[in-house]
Formats: sequence, structure tokens, C-alpha cells
Amino acid sequence: MLLLDIKNLTIELKTPDGLIRAVDRVNLSLREGETRGLVGESGSGKSLIAKAIVGVLNKRWQVSADRFNWCGQDLLRLPYDQQRKVIGRDIAMIYQEPSRSLDPTAAILEQLEEAIPAHLLEGPWWKRSYLRRRKAIGLLHKVGVRDHQAVLQSYPYQLSEGVCQKIMIAMAIAKAPKLLIADEPTTALESTTQAQLFRLLASFNQLKGTSVLLISHELESIARYTQSLSVLYCGQLVEAGETASIIKQPYHPYTNALIKSVPEFQPNLQPKTPLYALPGSIPVLQHLPIGCRLGPRCPNARKECVKTPTLERLQNHYYSCHFPLIGKKDL
Amino acid sequence: MNTLLEVRDLCKTYHKQSGWFSQRSVIAVQNINFTLAEGKTLAIVGETGSGKSTLAKLLVGIEKPDSGDILLAGQPVKISHYRQYNHVIRFIFQDAAKSLNPHQKIGQMLDDVLRFSTVLDPQQRKLKIRQTLKQLGLLDEHSEYYPHMFSGGQLQRVALARALILDPKLLILDEALTALDPSLRAQIVNLLLELQQKSGLAYLLITNHLRLVRHIADDLLVLHQGSALDYGNTAHVFANAGHDYSRKLINSAIT
Repeated sequence: MLLLDIKNLTIELKTPDGLIRAVDRVNLSLREGETRGLVGESGSGKSLIAKAIVGVLNKRWQVSADRFNWCGQDLLRLPYDQQRKVIGRDIAMIYQEPSRSLDPTAAILEQLEEAIPAHLLEGPWWKRSYLRRRKAIGLLHKVGVRDHQAVLQSYPYQLSEGVCQKIMIAMAIAKAPKLLIADEPTTALESTTQAQLFRLLASFNQLKGTSVLLISHELESIARYTQSLSVLYCGQLVEAGETASIIKQPYHPYTNALIKSVPEFQPNLQPKTPLYALPGSIPVLQHLPIGCRLGPRCPNARKECVKTPTLERLQNHYYSCHFPLIGKKDL
Repeated sequence: MNTLLEVRDLCKTYHKQSGWFSQRSVIAVQNINFTLAEGKTLAIVGETGSGKSTLAKLLVGIEKPDSGDILLAGQPVKISHYRQYNHVIRFIFQDAAKSLNPHQKIGQMLDDVLRFSTVLDPQQRKLKIRQTLKQLGLLDEHSEYYPHMFSGGQLQRVALARALILDPKLLILDEALTALDPSLRAQIVNLLLELQQKSGLAYLLITNHLRLVRHIADDLLVLHQGSALDYGNTAHVFANAGHDYSRKLINSAIT
């Protein structure tokens, strides 16, 4: 069953110079128990999409979509209170910088206990605070913090970034969500902790069936832990499908460049040889090219590329390009 | 290949007053030895608090070592000679956007570097700035730009221009590639490799990104709590690391 089903999500920002379309008609769907990666460079709107799903975007952003279904309910058309209720019950999010997202003035125990919803505690009311504490300790153990006594009493600044991130995850899974959104969970971490964290997320996915939406700009780390992948460029969805098939045969030149620019995916590449790179840089939001936004940087752009390509489908593999990397006659 | 930089038994300890008479000391780096030849790349990896950044600071003379020698082309380096050797070793910071002065035009900033460290006259300085910008794929008119007018990848190029304008022999990159987006990172990596091939620049790469290290570094030094665990050829260290910690670090990046 489709858990999340978004069609033509558009996020616009009102400015004195007119509307800026930061996210342009993006489709995204998630099945129950699926892990999906969302890859894109800075400014590609991946965090915006995540925030739009959780409904925490600033009022200045206009969110519209043809369909924004969560378990069959259209979230954008629900009254505000109900929308908050549904999201609060089912969706949890882990933010980019854990040590900054935690409250610096409160001890971890307080923050963690606050995140545990009352309906998950079973027992008479006089036992509630005891149960809550037990649950908090249990959560810490679940995310792999062994020394709970010391951690619960400390403040965020006393803990390392990795531990803070684990606490954020503990807070997120406290309510047993159906969907966990992890927004660049590993940028601030070291490579050993990174691997640990991905394994942790993978284990929740397998044990509890929690769907995970993993957002990152590093394709190589995400490819290992996800089943399906969506690639964004400048707010446009360029390719979506199963991770393995995208890595094996990308159709879009941007995905191709992303894969080729990572030495890890190129086992035959000699050390110290130049990497494949697209020329130019990411356009700023104020000066977006018309049509396909990759246009000015694309190695095989032609006249038709001034029109935005539609999302085409080939089995389970979606791409939006006028000139996909395999010729149409080969299909 | 000539040896450019040699470090022998470098130690640095930070002291912290914890009472009236008692001191607590933190050993930041101890007994570090390595050599770096011209046109080669040495990568230093390790977790936070392993002394990577302290080592970089010792090399550029921001901090003074307690004991041990830093030899540059066979000559011992003294902090008091900083002016002499800041031409040779240049440092690039993690975040290009934050390390540039927002009030200053790029041309002015580059001019300052030349004014303080060389004896060139204004005409020569202008020429040098133009050459450096061209070398890094920037345009002449970019010298009239302010830092906020550049995109992330271009800013990194500007930071590189500031480092390269004095024709250094060694460039220290402190996590300079980590924060970049993949496609920009590939561009900058290509640029660095090209410069190395053309002018025999040596790099000291301080990073967490082991996959990149494998691609661009000749030698690898693994630091853990201030001491060196493994040192040697990158491919050799990757294949058979001596210590459990370095093995763990390498496995986490590869598998």
C-alpha cells in the first residue's frame, strides 16, 4: 500500500520580483516498509520537500500539489488541527544538525521524556513518571547508547555530535512512527559513526517496518542503504526508480554525472586521474534557466531542452529528459 | 623526487589550569614523523580530537611545537621566520565563504596578500592577480566582485587563488573538500590534480572522506588520539592496516 503519494508538488516563494519556484512539480511515493533515498545538491530543494511533508515550512512558502496523500488522506486539504494530528502521530523527522536542534537549556532526560507520547505508556497514573523514565532509558539502549545514566543527565553541548544524533533518533522513534525522515543525518559525523547510524536506521526499517526517507547529497553512502532513489536537480525531479537499476544504468545525464564523479563507483579508474565533472555550477534560485534546469550544464543539451521535459516511465524507472542516455529505439 | 617537508618527533601538549596549583594537560599530538616529497599528496585522517587540525596549525606556524623539528627543504623552520616560509606553505580553510572578508573585493584581497608578502610594485601585482585568476578558471572582472556574488564552487576557487598567488610548494587543505557538493567537488579535485601535475605542488589533505583519499592521496597517515597509527603508501595502508582502529576506519568507508 502506498504510504505517501505526492504528485506534482510545487513549492514557491513570494519575493518582490515575483514567485520563485524552488520545487517544480516533483512526484514522490513511498510504500510501507520502503527506504527511499532523496539525492540532490545544495539548493535542490530536498530539505524543502521534507519540511513540506512534515508541514513545518514557513508561511512565506506556498505549497501546492495535485495530490498529497498520506495513507489515502489528502494532507493539504485537511483542516490544520487534523493535519497536525496526523503528522504528529505518524511522521517523525531527524534534522540536519543534531546538536543545534536539541534544546541547549534542558538536560537530555527532560527532552527525551517530553518526546514520549502519553498513550504509549501503559499503567496507572501514579506510575506514569517512573514508566516514562524507563521508556526513555529503553529508547537510548535501542539507539545504541549504553551509558544511559551519564547521557541522560548531560546537556547537548557536553555530548559529541554522534551521540546527539542518536538522541535525535531516539526522540523520533519514541512515538513509533510509520515514516522516519532523515535530513542529511550524517554530514557532521565521522565515517565510523556514519556507518553505525545507517545500520541503525536500516535495523528499524527491518524490525519495525518503519519507512525511511533518507535525504543526502552523497550518493555513494545512500546507495548502499536504500531500495529506491529519487534524484533532484534544482527543484526538478530528474530520475526516480530502484537504486540498483539507477546505479547500473542511469538515463539522465545528471545522474550519470553524479555516479561518475564518485571514485567508488568507478573501480577501473586509476588513482590521480581526473574525475568526470559537469562544467559550470548550480544556478541560484533567482536566475533559474527555463525548461530543463540542467540545460546550460548538460553535455547533450539541444534546442528542445528549453521546454521542461515530462516525466517518462520505463517499467519502474522514471526519468525526465528529452534525450535519455539510451536511445529510444533500443527499448 | 626531492623531499619538501619533513617532520620529526613532533609533540604538542596543551595545558589547562584546573586549580590554583594543579594543571591538566592534553596531549594533542605526540611523536609524529612523516616526509612529503614535491608533487605528492599526503592525507591525514582520523576522528575529531585526533590532532589533525593541531598538526596543521603546527605546520603553518599558528601554534608552536613543544618539541620536534619541522624541516622545510632540509632547513629547520622557526616561528620567527614565519615571513620567509609563508610563501611556501599555504593553508585553505574548511568553509571558503566564511574565511573571506565580505567587505573586500576579491582583487583587493589578493592584492593585500601580495602587498604584505612580496616586493612587487602595483603594476606587477595587478599582472600576477590576473595570471592567478586565469590559472584557476576565473575571469578578470571577478577581481571586482565581492565574495557574496560567487557560488560555492567559485568561492572555493577564490580561496585557492588566495593560497596559490604566492606560488607555494605545499598546500594544506583542512577539510576543504568535505563541504562541497559532489559535482563541484569533482571539479575542484580535477583542478587540484591538474595543478599538481603542472607545477609540482604538494598537498597535505586533512579529511574524513576516505573514499576521496584513496583516489587522490599518495601517502596516508592515520592519527588516533594524537599519535600516528599507520603511515605509508595509500594502497598499502588500505590493503593491510596495522592497527585495529585504522582497519575499522577503513572498513567503515569501503564496505
